[in-house]
Order: sequence, then C-alpha cells, then structure tokens
Amino acid sequence: MSSLALKNLNEIKAKGLKSLYPEKTKIAVGMSTCGRASGAEEVIEAIQSEAASLGLDIIVTPNGCMGLCQKEPLVDLIRPGWPRVVYQQMDVKKAKEIVAALKENKIIAKYILCKIGEETHLLENALHRYNLNGLPENMEKVPPYKEVPFFGKQQKRVLQGCGNINPDKIEEYIAAGGYTALGKALGELDPQGVIDEVTRSSLRGRGGAGFPTGRKWSFCREAPGEPKYVICNADEGDPGAYMDRSILEGSPHQVIEGMVIGAYAIGAAHGVMYVRAEYPLAIEKLTRALDQARELGLLGKNILGSGFDFDIAIERGSGAFVCGEETALIASIEGTTGEPRQRPPFPAQKGLWGKPTNINNVKTWATIPLIVTRGADWFSEIGTEKSKGTMIFSMVGKVKMNGLVEVPMGMTLRELVFEVGGGVPDKRAFKAIQTGGPSGGCIPDSLMDLPVDYDKLAAVGSIIGSGGMVVMDETSCMVNVAKYFLAFTKDESCGKCTPCREGTRRMLEILTDITEGRGREGDIEILEDMGTTIVDSALCALGGTAPNPVLTTIRYFREEYEEHIKNKRCPAGACKGLFELWIDPDKCIGCGQCLSNCPSSAVSGEKKNAHTLDTGKCIQCGICREICPTNAVRVK
Amino acid sequence: MNSNDQQNNKKPIGAVAVVGAGIGGIQASLDLANSGFKVYLVEEEPTIGGRMAQLDKTFPTNDCSMCIISPKLVECGGHPNIENITCSDLIDLKGKPGHFTVSIKRRARSVDESLCTGCGECTNQCLVRNRAYLDVQMIEPTLGEDEKMAVDEILERHKENRSPLIPVLQDINGRFNYLPPPILSYVSFKLNISLAHILRVATFYAFFSLEPRGKHMVSVCMGTACHVRGGERLLEKLEDELGIKSGQTTEDKKYSLEMVRCIGCCALSPVIRVDERVYSRVRYNTVMDTLMKY
Repeated sequence: MSSLALKNLNEIKAKGLKSLYPEKTKIAVGMSTCGRASGAEEVIEAIQSEAASLGLDIIVTPNGCMGLCQKEPLVDLIRPGWPRVVYQQMDVKKAKEIVAALKENKIIAKYILCKIGEETHLLENALHRYNLNGLPENMEKVPPYKEVPFFGKQQKRVLQGCGNINPDKIEEYIAAGGYTALGKALGELDPQGVIDEVTRSSLRGRGGAGFPTGRKWSFCREAPGEPKYVICNADEGDPGAYMDRSILEGSPHQVIEGMVIGAYAIGAAHGVMYVRAEYPLAIEKLTRALDQARELGLLGKNILGSGFDFDIAIERGSGAFVCGEETALIASIEGTTGEPRQRPPFPAQKGLWGKPTNINNVKTWATIPLIVTRGADWFSEIGTEKSKGTMIFSMVGKVKMNGLVEVPMGMTLRELVFEVGGGVPDKRAFKAIQTGGPSGGCIPDSLMDLPVDYDKLAAVGSIIGSGGMVVMDETSCMVNVAKYFLAFTKDESCGKCTPCREGTRRMLEILTDITEGRGREGDIEILEDMGTTIVDSALCALGGTAPNPVLTTIRYFREEYEEHIKNKRCPAGACKGLFELWIDPDKCIGCGQCLSNCPSSAVSGEKKNAHTLDTGKCIQCGICREICPTNAVRVK
Repeated sequence: MNSNDQQNNKKPIGAVAVVGAGIGGIQASLDLANSGFKVYLVEEEPTIGGRMAQLDKTFPTNDCSMCIISPKLVECGGHPNIENITCSDLIDLKGKPGHFTVSIKRRARSVDESLCTGCGECTNQCLVRNRAYLDVQMIEPTLGEDEKMAVDEILERHKENRSPLIPVLQDINGRFNYLPPPILSYVSFKLNISLAHILRVATFYAFFSLEPRGKHMVSVCMGTACHVRGGERLLEKLEDELGIKSGQTTEDKKYSLEMVRCIGCCALSPVIRVDERVYSRVRYNTVMDTLMKY
C-alpha cells in the first residue's frame, strides 16, 4: 500500500471519528427496513422539527439496525459527558418528549432500553470509552447494555457495525477500523497468505451448506481460466431470515471490504453482488457505498496503490427463490431463467460465463475483514470443534424478543430461545423451533438442549441454513407448518427436474387433504417414501432439502399427523374445520377483547363475567385466541 | 387417409401415408404401424419431430416435452413398419379411399442417408449455416413516441451490460408497471433476442407481470414468521374486501394484490407492503384502514 493512500485513509479516519463521536449532541435513528416499517421516518422528522423549534443545535442522522427489531424504532442519543443512551419504541410524541428533555439536560428513563458506556471497534481492537463526567439524574436506574438479557448473552462480531455507524458514511466505517483489513491484506500478505489465514480460521460458508471457505477459495484460485469472478450471494430468500438485509443496510462496506480481500486472494478482477428485488433499501445503500469506495480508491484500478484492480457491479434479482442456489444464480446473471444445473463442474471450475467463480454469502464476506485484521486464532477461539466463530440467527415467531442475534456456535437452542429470546409470550407452551427455512426442519422441545452448529443440527434432520429460526408455540399445527413449507417449495420449484417439480406437488396434495380432513390411512408412509425419494434424486439443494420440513415433523410429531388422519381433529387449533374453540370460564376475566374483535359475532357475555363462544357462528379465524390476555380461549 | 373401404369390391391396400411428422403424425404412424399397417411418413423438413421438440413444457401438465417426444422419435425412426420420407413434398393425390396413389417429390439432400449417422458435425462446421436467419427481414415493431423514447433510454442504460435482458425487463416493469407485449417485441428486435426467450424469462420470475397492474401494489408477506402470526388471515381479509384474488387487480385499477415471499421484516410480523412502504404488526380489523390512506 502506498504511503499516500495510507495518509489519505488516516485523514478520513479522523474525520469519521468526529462524525461518530461529535462534540455536539447527536441523535441517531435506526433507519433500516424494520425501523422504517415501525415509523422511523416520522420519528426522525419529528426530532428534526422539534430540535429546530426549540433552537437546539444537534446532529440528527440515520443508523443501521441494532438487531432488536421488536423494540424499533430505536433512537440513539450520544451526548458529550453521557454514556450512549438507547431509546426504544419511539413514536412522534415520545420523540418530541426526549428532544424537549434534552433542552433541560435530562433523559426520560422510562423510554430507555439501555445505556452503553464503552464500545469496541472490533476491526482494529480499539476501545472507545464514553466520557461520563456530566451524568444526568436517573441515569443510574438505566440498565447497562450487557444486563439487557437480549444483548447479554450475545457476542457481536460480524454485526458489530450494524446500528453503531451511519451506513451512508464511509468515513464512519473507516473510523470504526474499516478497510484496515484490506490495507493489511494488500500491504503485508500475498494472496496465498490471505487464503492460508482464512483456511486456518476454519470459517465455514455462512449461507447454509457450511463448506470451508478457505478451501473453496483455493479451488477457485488454482482453477485455470481468466478472468475469474467473485460473487456475493445476497439473494436471501429463506422466509424468516433477514440478517443479510440487515448487514447490507447497516454496514455495507464490511461486505465490500470482504469481497475485495477475497478477490485479491483468488485473483479475480470482477465482482457481482446479486441482491434480491425485495430489498430496495439494501440496493440503495450498496450503490452508495460502492460509489464512495470507488471515490477513495478502495475499488477500481490500482486499489490503495497496490496495483490490484477490482470492481463490483450490482445485479438485482427478480423474485425467484431458486436463484439463491449458486448455479441458478449464475444463470440468472447471465440473463436467462434461474434453473440450477448439474454439478460438477463446480462454479470454482466453470461458473459465470464459463470462468472460475467463487460465490459466498453476505455473512461470509462480512466475516473476512475480521479474520484478516484479528487473525485466525482470535476468530476460532470460540465455537465448537467443527464450527468456529459466531453465527447470526434471526429469531422470530412466537418469542418475546424478536430480532437478530449473534451468538457463539455451540450455544444450546434452549439458551437461545429462553434466555436471549425471553421465551414464548402470552403464557403459552413452547412447541418447536424451525431452523433453516424451507430446507430445514422442526426441532421439538425434547431436543432443545442441543448445541447449535452445522453438524449437530444436520444430525437431527434439520440444517443451520442461513440462520432463520422461527419459534412456534402450542397454537402452531405441525402438519399445517409442513404444508406451508411445501406450498412454498412447490411454488418456487423451477421445474427443471421431475422429482422436485412433481414430487412437491403431490406431497402438497396429500398434506392439503390431511389438513382438510380427507386424510387416509397410509398417507404418512407415502409422504415418507416420496420425501426420501426426492431427497435422493432431486437435481439441486432446493429440491433435495424440500421434504425436510415434512420428514422432521413426521419424525417428531407423528401423533399430530395421526390425530388429523384418524380422528379428523387438529389438536393445535390451526386447521379450519378440524377443531372447535371454547372459552374456559375459570380463566376468562371478561375483558371483552374477544367480543369486540370477533368478525362473526360469535362471542357473547357481560363485562367482567366469563364470556361464551357460539361454535355454530365461529368461523375459526383464531383472532380471539391470539388476543386473549389470559389464554382462556382453548381448543376443545 | 383411411384405407378401409367396405363398399369397394377391390381389397383395400394395407398401407397408409401420413403427411407431416410432428408429434401428431408420429403418434398416428406409431398407432397404425403397431396395428399392422405399413406407414409412409412424409415430412417436408429434413428431420421428423416438428415443433414439439422446440418447446420447453407442454400444456396443461407442464411436462417436459423432450421427455415425451424423444422415445417416440426413436421408435418411429426404427420401426419396421414405418418408412420415413423426409425432406419431401406431397405433389399429387389420386384415387379413392383404400386405393390412393400418392406422388412425392424428394428434394436433394446432398447427403448419403445410408451413411449419415446424424452426428451434426457438418452443421457445426458449415460456413453459411446462419444464412437462413440473416435472410429473414426483421421489421422493427412500431411503438408510440413516448413509449419508444422511454424504452430506448432503458436500452441505452444497459448497453454495456453483457446480459442486458433481465435489467432491461426490470426497468420496463418498473416504468410501465408491467411488461406490455408490443414493447417486448421491440426489445426482442433491438437486443436480437428471440421473443420466445424473453417470454420464458418474463414468466419465470415472479417480479414480472404480463398484465397491467393497479396504481398501488399491495403485497402481503407470506414468510414463515408472518405465517405463524396470521399473515394468511390478512390475505383472506384483503381478498374479501377488495373482491379479488391474490395476483389480480381491482376493476377500478386502483389496487393489485399479491403474495410476497418474505420482505425480511420477520420480527415485526405480520407485515404488508403498499408500494414501497412496509407496514408492521398489521391487525385483521384495521388492515383496510391502512389501504384507505392510498
């Protein structure tokens, strides 16, 4: 790296630090898609207008997502002399209140999620301590970051930038240690040295299959053919997983830096980011980030004066789940239908335009800068024997704290759901956790003490996948869930190979029959038989894993299938026509919520007295069950 | 041409000529040949097979067309009762049912059929093999002036792209809200990509629509988290209230309704998206109020 480039970077870093920790008060609003969906745009406007009308001289900026989507919109307050304060669930009214309180040098403790006294910039192992010499009253009552259960057990590495920096400003990423890894790779290591470090870290592909990244890179490096390509797979199609979106929206430079390092190691001259069409905000952030990186000479010709040329183009997806499969993704970039092809030859030998191509997931690329700056040993000091480092999960569904969590590999599912996630809300019973999206399986309560890593989850019939985790409680019917996933894979099957195209369709027909009361003896066996045949014979991973949700639910919840088939009854109360609801008079407190929300006027009763439900009028929509505060609406 | 004539005293001849060796002709020839008739299968093209071999899938079962036709091609090619007369034209037909005389003119193939193995190497090596395509005069489809300008601008934007088709379709879909067929013909002409390929791509990806859509796009998320928290119920409600099914547009062209596979807002489920704006934790009873804002 030339000394001029280094000097430039250091200047930008100084500017970035001023922007991260300014001398004035700064308010940062979480403006990722989840923040916006909860009203962050109105909140940031309210803060700006209130500050203007009160004559406050403060900086208002957007930030990425901290991961606790449940409590969005989150608003960060960074004021000299105070710890960083995180306000939760803001709306226009509350936002105005906190700005008004600032004028009097106060905080509003009841709206605060936590305070942060210091934060580490992992990319260069630098600690930033907030100056705490002017604490306002009530600050001691606010819990510190690490005491919030949701954050306490997490170990944020890849996600460390998200929510802490403004994704629109490259200088803030550089201030937090960004692009030092690139400087180190280009300046101190040769390409083989980078690959060796990644291999030594035992990083496995975070897209789900878990193939060792270092080995994949060296295959591509050694493959004959020029030019070589690197691709970032941001076609995050698994329903229930959204960490890739969050990283792209919250810290896009981390992914870009990872790709440049990877391209240098592999010897690639072109990069492509394939991003889902459903993520317009991520595309916007990425486009801006790429322009900024080009402007600073971190992309393009002669990167950082090292003589290495590399650039990245963005390709938008067009709404096909199968394009997350690498060969289908390549076909889609080449301008045709996204149908997978037979492997080998693997993309490392013949990929995009027939040239050696390396494809990694967003999370894998975002991990690379950490490994390069901090070293393989630091990376692999946590995790299990065969799965090192941390894993990001999106924990959603029937769990108290919905959001993105990053935990060391090997944490048990129970810790994840009940400690980090706070357990199941509304006093309901936990039933299963679904991991790995439509390719994964449902894991029952009895296996919840399983430490999570690639191999342990595979051993129980599921996969870690891209990290989606959907928690299900007693109101989720496992047959219905299996049907849901099969409907998904049937729709998304590209139709190229028969086992997947026809098999998923027929399995869905059988499942639909079961959930509508037309199940027959022997159906379970047919499902198992067809499922295992599809696993054996489908062309690509989409088809080969499509039956997993069915096979695992049969394996762990067979009695639920039998109940549907033999007694035409859905014990969870999810399959219409196969259950009846009633209100338990001992539990009902007569709050009237079910009565006022029932779309078919099936509930009657006086306030403060137990209500009754007329099963003749009931359309089994389940709304009363969902809103009942005491869980008094039960399945007969 | 049925050779079964009961009114004629002469004994009908047990041979049939089938004209046209498409899938229909092949199937007819096989059925007849298997029932014991001698079949003369006449085809103007140099090969049997016709259109079906060029199709991807068949209606309505979506079966793979090659899988259906290729065993029949093999059988027809080698059947002892079938004589394939390809590269030939029917000149004349005389006589009555049971006693036809058919005149066939065989065009010069310039290849000894008894020696040719159909390896295809000569086609690959032939220097003038694309002449036929070059001779076809492509006529530029006409578009309205505004449309033409918009499409030309989109085409210009992606001209550096090695595979411009999908980005071009995305931009057209974004600009016109769907893919109007005349514009697709125009794109086909300009990019020199066959319309069949364009339609194949356009119908493969969920993002494209070949029918005009409403002013506002209402997408109901059907991700897993939304599924367990009542997303389907929202869709049912919207279908009832708007009087349309998912994938359709209201009569006044105001709303189009569609299912979308995960917007990535799983923590705030159930969610719907109206145009670009995402609404979180949508309630069954108030979902219509959200729409009424538009």
